[in-house]
Amino acid sequence: MSVEFADWLRGRDDEELRALVAARPELVTPVPAHVEGLAARAVTPSATGRALDRLDRFALAVLETLVLLPAPADLVELRDVLARGLRESAAGDLEAALSGTLRRLRGLALVYGPDDSPMPAPGVREALSPPAGLGPPAADVFRHHSPERLAEITHDIGAGHRDGEVPVLLGDPAVVERLVTEVSPQARAALDELAWGPAAGRLANARRAVRADTAQSPIEELLARGLLGATGDETVALPREVALYLRDGRLHRDLLTSPPPLRGPERDAALTDRTAAGQAFMFVRAVEELCERWSFDPPGVLRTGGLAVRDLKRAAQVLELPEWSTALVAEVAYAAGLIVASGGVDGEWLPSPAYDAWRVKPGEERWAAVAGNWLATDRAPGLAGERDDRDRLLNALTPELRRGAAREVRTATLAMLAAAGPGVAPDPASVRDRLAWEQPRRRGAYRDRLVDFTLREAEQIGVTGLGVLAGHGRALASGDTAQAAKLLGPLLPEPIDHVLLQADLTAVAPGPLTGDLRRRLTLAADVESTGGATVYRFSESSIRRALDAGQSGEELLAMLAHHSATPVPQPLNYLVTDVARRHGRIRVGTAGAYIRCDDPAVLDQVQADRRTVPLRLRRLAPTVIASRSARAALVDGLRAMGYAPVAESLDGDVIVSQLDARRAEGAPPARPVTLVGGLDRDVVAAAVRAIRAGDAAHRARRPPVESPGGQVPRSPATATISALQQAIRQGGRVWIGYLDNQGQATSRILEPARMEGGYLTAYDETRAAVHRFALHRITGVSEVSDGG
Amino acid sequence: MNDGPLIVQSDKTLLLEVDHPAADACRKAIAPFAELERAPEHVHTYRVTPLALWNARAAGHDAEQVVDALIAHSRYPVPHALLVDVAETMARYGRLRLEKHPVHGLALSTSDRAVLEEVLRSKKIAPLLGPRIDGDSVAVHPSERGTLKQALLKLGWPAEDLAGYVDGEAHPIKLNEDGWQVRQYQREAADSFWHGGSGVVVLPCGAGKTIVGATAMAHAQATTLILVTNTVSAHQWKQELLRRTSLTESEIGEYTGTRKEIRPVTIATYQVMTTRRQGVYRHLELFDARDWGLVVYDEVHLLPAPIFRMTADLQARRRLGLTATLVREDGREGDVFSLIGPKRYDSPWKEMENQGWIAPADCVEVRVTLSDDERLAYAMAEADERYRFCASTPAKTRVAEALVRRHTDEQVLVIGQYIDQLDELGDHLGAPVIKGETRIRERERLFQAFRDKELRVLVVSKVANFSIDLPEASIAIQVSGTFGSRQEEAQRLGRVLRPKAGGGGARFYSVVSRDTVDQDFAAHRQRFLAEQGYAYQIVDADDVLREDRPSADS
Repeated sequence: MSVEFADWLRGRDDEELRALVAARPELVTPVPAHVEGLAARAVTPSATGRALDRLDRFALAVLETLVLLPAPADLVELRDVLARGLRESAAGDLEAALSGTLRRLRGLALVYGPDDSPMPAPGVREALSPPAGLGPPAADVFRHHSPERLAEITHDIGAGHRDGEVPVLLGDPAVVERLVTEVSPQARAALDELAWGPAAGRLANARRAVRADTAQSPIEELLARGLLGATGDETVALPREVALYLRDGRLHRDLLTSPPPLRGPERDAALTDRTAAGQAFMFVRAVEELCERWSFDPPGVLRTGGLAVRDLKRAAQVLELPEWSTALVAEVAYAAGLIVASGGVDGEWLPSPAYDAWRVKPGEERWAAVAGNWLATDRAPGLAGERDDRDRLLNALTPELRRGAAREVRTATLAMLAAAGPGVAPDPASVRDRLAWEQPRRRGAYRDRLVDFTLREAEQIGVTGLGVLAGHGRALASGDTAQAAKLLGPLLPEPIDHVLLQADLTAVAPGPLTGDLRRRLTLAADVESTGGATVYRFSESSIRRALDAGQSGEELLAMLAHHSATPVPQPLNYLVTDVARRHGRIRVGTAGAYIRCDDPAVLDQVQADRRTVPLRLRRLAPTVIASRSARAALVDGLRAMGYAPVAESLDGDVIVSQLDARRAEGAPPARPVTLVGGLDRDVVAAAVRAIRAGDAAHRARRPPVESPGGQVPRSPATATISALQQAIRQGGRVWIGYLDNQGQATSRILEPARMEGGYLTAYDETRAAVHRFALHRITGVSEVSDGG
Repeated sequence: MNDGPLIVQSDKTLLLEVDHPAADACRKAIAPFAELERAPEHVHTYRVTPLALWNARAAGHDAEQVVDALIAHSRYPVPHALLVDVAETMARYGRLRLEKHPVHGLALSTSDRAVLEEVLRSKKIAPLLGPRIDGDSVAVHPSERGTLKQALLKLGWPAEDLAGYVDGEAHPIKLNEDGWQVRQYQREAADSFWHGGSGVVVLPCGAGKTIVGATAMAHAQATTLILVTNTVSAHQWKQELLRRTSLTESEIGEYTGTRKEIRPVTIATYQVMTTRRQGVYRHLELFDARDWGLVVYDEVHLLPAPIFRMTADLQARRRLGLTATLVREDGREGDVFSLIGPKRYDSPWKEMENQGWIAPADCVEVRVTLSDDERLAYAMAEADERYRFCASTPAKTRVAEALVRRHTDEQVLVIGQYIDQLDELGDHLGAPVIKGETRIRERERLFQAFRDKELRVLVVSKVANFSIDLPEASIAIQVSGTFGSRQEEAQRLGRVLRPKAGGGGARFYSVVSRDTVDQDFAAHRQRFLAEQGYAYQIVDADDVLREDRPSADS
């Protein structure tokens, strides 16, 4: 670490240091003991990397340019190099932007030194490697080439120079120019590709020996001339000098000093707010519907922890949403803690107690709760249904959907939408461009996808409407969920307590219903369509369902009449009365046996007898009594009371039976489970010993004993096995010789526990652990004298 | 929150609260792009289907208008996904166009090459197309014009047919407005059909669809082929045309089972057209017999499949479909759209009734209870015999008799499905029975006698379901039907909907056996009418009989 940097840092005033640690909080966790400590931490690769990650495109370009310019850097030169890389439209503001950016970089302690010759802080150079997408300098590229190879290249590109002077040659733009003009157009195209792109590539057999006049392919032409150098057996890189020539002396291109604007159509704010609120309402309802459905018909938790594709499809069908949207609903409900996986092996996805608390809140608060959790979750619901890099399907609700960057990108994207100004619906491309400018080190196709997910999900959840961040969405994005709920409230439809009943057996609720009415209607009618309103259809089966739930036909009609703005239409009235009339006309129950007698008086007598109480009789008809006892018990009981019953078969025939040949009526008892073969006593004892030994080792961590010295025992195989068997039976200790996995002869002291399938399980005192030993690798056994 | 009369549902149905002050304005705004699905008393349901959106697009509406109409009238915010979907669906229509091509005759061209590439890759489309003309167009075999449109619709890229029509053989036809006038809606319907080129006009039974046909013919001034459901209906068309237009007997030909006349205006039945001998449609040549300038399809919702196939070859001729309902029991609404054309005119039944164009009607469902013996027999009947059994219970005959007695001053039609039941009814009521085996001449004699009020009661089987013009019938008693057919119920109600000379209302009785499949089927049959705003009142057969007895005794 450079002393000057620490001294420079020490020279900053307190305010500046405070600003520094505020901007780079990782420098003070934990608080360093002194400024040297602070400096030491600031220059670590991880701390520098995190500071760099926060830089925008322009600040990063300034820093890269500083790194690449020969030290000490000259402000004028710095500006000139940057100016060459600017996009034309941005050329005017360079001066101000540069001085502002340098001040900011100093504040972050990424640049230090005198004002007129700024220096990159220690560690920055390494962290920025390779800077500006440039490859390593020629000296680095060709350092590891063999002298013969260097000689060949030198010979091909600059006859007359000393061997190994390739870097020197490439340092001369004139030489590079000559070389570049002499290669074929295909090779030139490859060079141009590498000039701004990643400067390194993969190439099989990169270190091949090629000469300029025998080159077979464009790449070989480049390799032969040193325009491309091998940096490994299968990697090649474009030397920095060559790239700089190809870039025409520029380090960057299309550089902007200020963030690119967010473009998009403008829309009426009231309309977008309303649209977003409508979507918010739908989303909250979808969450509720999903939870309600899963309350009764919960899907199983996959072994990997997620939701099966089949279950997702079913949920999508119920919610009438596309699958991605259904996955979002489930994910958000999960993030908000409304659904959780019940424990156990056959776990299920069930609503949590938190759901019950959530359900009774007003709509806007429910929305704020789910939307806030969507914003905060570190999961990427958009990935559900896609495949990971190993081509495995990513299920919704799996732990696999966690993405570290998800939350940050989501916050950043919403910040972009907020920055776009009221009423502007920025198009996704300009949001991505803007994010790429603000966090250039974090850009990438993957992040762009997260941005797209965020935009799509924000619309779905009702944070945005028609692409514009709604008022409540803006409050949410700024972290104020209470304010978001307050803004959303007036936009949501009021719950109503009446429906319109129609003669075609439908009921229309022209808005969200109050909870109680909704539950009652959902019970008595099937939901036909949902949205701003709900359409219910009454049918025979739905009415029957309500009657099954314990309501009577009159109650149902009274409820409908009470909540209907108009009289109950006649067809509905008829339907309810009709179903109620037939409902329950046939009764079904279970009985163990029955008593039948043509003379009701006898049955009266039986029923009046107090001794029949344990037989649990119930008179079904004048001539029939049902009993919950089994037939045989009933016959016995009645006999004991002095009657003379006969048993009847299912067909009504009399069963002639002898008293001592009774048979059970119930189901046969379950057969006891027996293991085929069974365990022999020795094995059981050994298993217990092994468990004890393992347990003791775990608790006491018996120190390993020294393996005994001297000659490793050798014995014939049969003797070995019988000695081990004896040790297992008697519980003794043995000394064995064992060839380990590497074929090394070792010696162990064992307490053998079990032997099966060619393996011995034993507590190994020399290793203080239970191991399995292959019998064929045990070279011999001998007894151990106690006390070891 | 807006206070509009419209609620947009997530399944793309629109609920219109009819008692809302702005309901009328809203109905007008959404009618072009939403299909009226149900019109019960308080809340009407419209559905935004791709077909409806394309119909709107064909009528010159754009997505912006649709979205504006939804947002302007909706009480709650409209789901964004629905708006996006509307815009996307509408944008699909007209991306592909069928146009005339100077060299290849007919070409499929596009403004969006990707769409063309997409449909060209379809295995179903490729064989219908000729060589690629340039990047944006491809030749079409003129004979595949209809099949191509059908296939494109299935792919979700309906083509706009701009290839025009042949004029056909000119033939002067004039409306003969002598003592009557074409009603305004009839003229509107004919005009909007004519401007659209081809398409379907949806009007309730009794609203004078024949006149719409005649008006369209007067527009076309060309030879016309009219396809109707049966012979009686063919006769009626002929009578009507003779009365309403300048056409004379010698200009109108009938092409039916008994007569095969081909004249400038020819009326053929679906049955004849679909007769096959040895697997060959023998009367196909009728389509080419003359250079028809207009083809009229009566009762489009009944168009049999072979006629669809034949129509696919007639795409260069103007086609007018007439129907009371686009509901098809077989779900081939898409084929009607692509082969006959988009819907050009539609008017809800109740509205026509309010304007006095069709008679106001009451629908009454009379529930009879099976006797205990019958219930036992019903429970033991084979599944496929059950409907017949409960639908033709003698109890219904008693109720029908009572009802006939109740309306002594009115013309009564008794309609049923089963011949033995009808014969029995005929015996009891002392009324003639018209059934499949009744000779055409006899049928017409009976119908005429009924029209002239010489006959008060007529018992008819399903042969009289369609297109029988019996203006003075004001009571219909349905004792059995073709299971749960919704359109049959609508057609039967249509029999009594013609405006009455006395201006009185009509009444439609449906006699149903309680607690049987008859009741289930009846519920299904009634759905269409209930959805059109005809509330069924339910009465008990015992009430009908009790009411009847004192008067019968006195």
